[in-house]
Amino acid sequence: MLKKYVALAAVVGAMAALAVATPSPAQERTVKITAFGAKSGVVRVFGINSEAALKAAAEVINTAGGVTLGDGTKAKFAIEFLDDRCNAEEGISVIRRIASTDAFIAVGPTCSNVAESLFGILQKKVGDTSDTGLQFPIIADVAAKGGLAKISEWSFRNVPSEFEMYKSLFAWLKTQHPNLKTIWGGVEKDFAHSNATFGVIKQQAEVNGFQILGQSEWLLADTTFSTQVREMKRANPEIVAISAHPFTTCGVLKEMERQGVKPKLLIGLTSSSSIETLQGCAKQAEGIIIPTSFAPVTPEAAKAAELVAKFGGSADLHSAAAYEIMFILKDVIEKQKIMARPDTVAADRVKMREGLAALKETNGLLGKIGRTADREAIKPFLYVHAKDGKWQVLFKPSS
Amino acid sequence: MDFLDLIDALQSLADGVLFGATYALLGIGFTLIFGVMHKINLSFAAASIGAAYASLLILAGVKAPPALVFLAAAGCGGVIGGLVYLIGFRFIPLANPLATLMSTVGLLLLIDEIIVHTTAGVPLNYPALFSDVIIRAGPFNLRGDLMFVFLLGCLCMVLLLMLLYRTRLGLATRAMSQQPVAAELCGISNTKVNILTFVTTGIVGGIAGAMIGAAIGMLSPLLSLPLTVKGLIVTVIGGLGSIPGAIIAGLLVGGLENLFQYWRGVSERDLYIMLLLFVFLVFRPGGLFAPATARD
Repeated sequence: MLKKYVALAAVVGAMAALAVATPSPAQERTVKITAFGAKSGVVRVFGINSEAALKAAAEVINTAGGVTLGDGTKAKFAIEFLDDRCNAEEGISVIRRIASTDAFIAVGPTCSNVAESLFGILQKKVGDTSDTGLQFPIIADVAAKGGLAKISEWSFRNVPSEFEMYKSLFAWLKTQHPNLKTIWGGVEKDFAHSNATFGVIKQQAEVNGFQILGQSEWLLADTTFSTQVREMKRANPEIVAISAHPFTTCGVLKEMERQGVKPKLLIGLTSSSSIETLQGCAKQAEGIIIPTSFAPVTPEAAKAAELVAKFGGSADLHSAAAYEIMFILKDVIEKQKIMARPDTVAADRVKMREGLAALKETNGLLGKIGRTADREAIKPFLYVHAKDGKWQVLFKPSS
Repeated sequence: MDFLDLIDALQSLADGVLFGATYALLGIGFTLIFGVMHKINLSFAAASIGAAYASLLILAGVKAPPALVFLAAAGCGGVIGGLVYLIGFRFIPLANPLATLMSTVGLLLLIDEIIVHTTAGVPLNYPALFSDVIIRAGPFNLRGDLMFVFLLGCLCMVLLLMLLYRTRLGLATRAMSQQPVAAELCGISNTKVNILTFVTTGIVGGIAGAMIGAAIGMLSPLLSLPLTVKGLIVTVIGGLGSIPGAIIAGLLVGGLENLFQYWRGVSERDLYIMLLLFVFLVFRPGGLFAPATARD
């Protein structure tokens, strides 16, 4: 009996030794992409959507075999998402933390005020030895305030140009509604994005021959809008253009309904073309026209929307940008032969920056995306309108 | 100022006063806790909004009538109020005024983050009663839902005053507020009165949160901080510890806020409200209705 046990132990021992001695297949490499944005606070939903979109895109890439690194090995993407609370100081702290690791790129942030501050700590001009700014490439997916990427040669964005969107929208409105002339504006005054975009809306409206009768202003956390809507009512405009995020957009639309303000046309802010607006005030938002760089109108976009939902997010113009960024990164990593090893971090960051800066065109969910010398994107867009509680495509300018 | 401007100004004032009923309810919550414990509960407004959120989540999937949602908000407010006492006050050394102040700041942030993590920060629709009713009087319009908010706010205030002045609990609360040592010697339990005060103010807060949600038509975590500031302003202007003061100050702040919005615009509106606060702090630090000074 004892002999049996000894023999069994010997067999097990021999098998274990064999297992140790046999060379294992090459260990699969992983490239961690660190993203950051708001995962807490009132804009948490943006972070949730971005993270879901990045993970969805990573899954698509990984399923197709992954990314080819500079030494020819294949690697899978892994996503890490850090929270900056939409706060500039925390954003800077997060990016410094990411830059102290082996990361060669970071994706983010959510908020324009964070992007503006942290792009400011990057080296302004590549090769300027007198500038001790951080030499680390960042590509933004959500922060939408115009012209931010030009702050540093290390900063890039894949966000739509609101200038181009509203320029196109007002030119189109002029042809579609030649009898509509007067506009009243509504602006959320204390939010960088909505305030800056309102300037664009006003400018483009005037360029296209519309008359701005005036504007009502409110703050992001305001609770009553009766005074502002009465100003609007007295002006009796044909068009009302609201540059505000979903919470106050809905507050104003509900107050407009109460006071019987019924303009012939409603125009909204890009960020309001999201599910939050429809959850908050689908009935009152009926008919509102918003330009956006995402709608599930192509097979790729529809698939992306489905995958993002699978990862617990919602595909909109912001998260779609995050989704596209993963494919941009894959292409640049392969083209620039990035090694993604701890000993090549500095060189990989430079290669990544150069690769991103050299891009003239990338693939997007709605079609080709152009790149400008200022490291910004020129994205295809379309106009959607709220109809029967859903966002539906109204017009696609390039078609 | 032409006739239309005058009408608009009066309309702004009326809308503001009606919405001010919610500020009054918040002010009452702050002032009642201060009156009993001589402590500021900075998490009160966040707890009120939290209660309104909780009422939506509890009744999610059920097509509940608005009245039931409001009742649920009041109930949730009571529960949250009790929890705030247990977490932020019960085991904190009350002799150190900063300790409870900081614990309530922590609770404010905690409640806010719980709301944000539960809802992803997405605004949620909140039901309203009489939202389609508009009372028209010549050039004036009075919103039915705001009138309801105002009347319900007034009813809550009356009930609260009756509770304080017509019941044994009210008597114990007032005794604890004025002479805590003497009250304890008479057999009144300090802890019991404190927790009942927090539950009562929590119920008032829950109703305030529901009324705010109903008046706006939506709930957002964005509301907590501005409402905390408004509640504190109302409490100071009304006089720390004075319920009639909180009521009048709430309506006053609501009305003036809208009036300043009309006259000076959004960028200056809050400036004047803050100036009003400083005027009171300097010239009338006891507020509109400062409570009688304690005998000893």
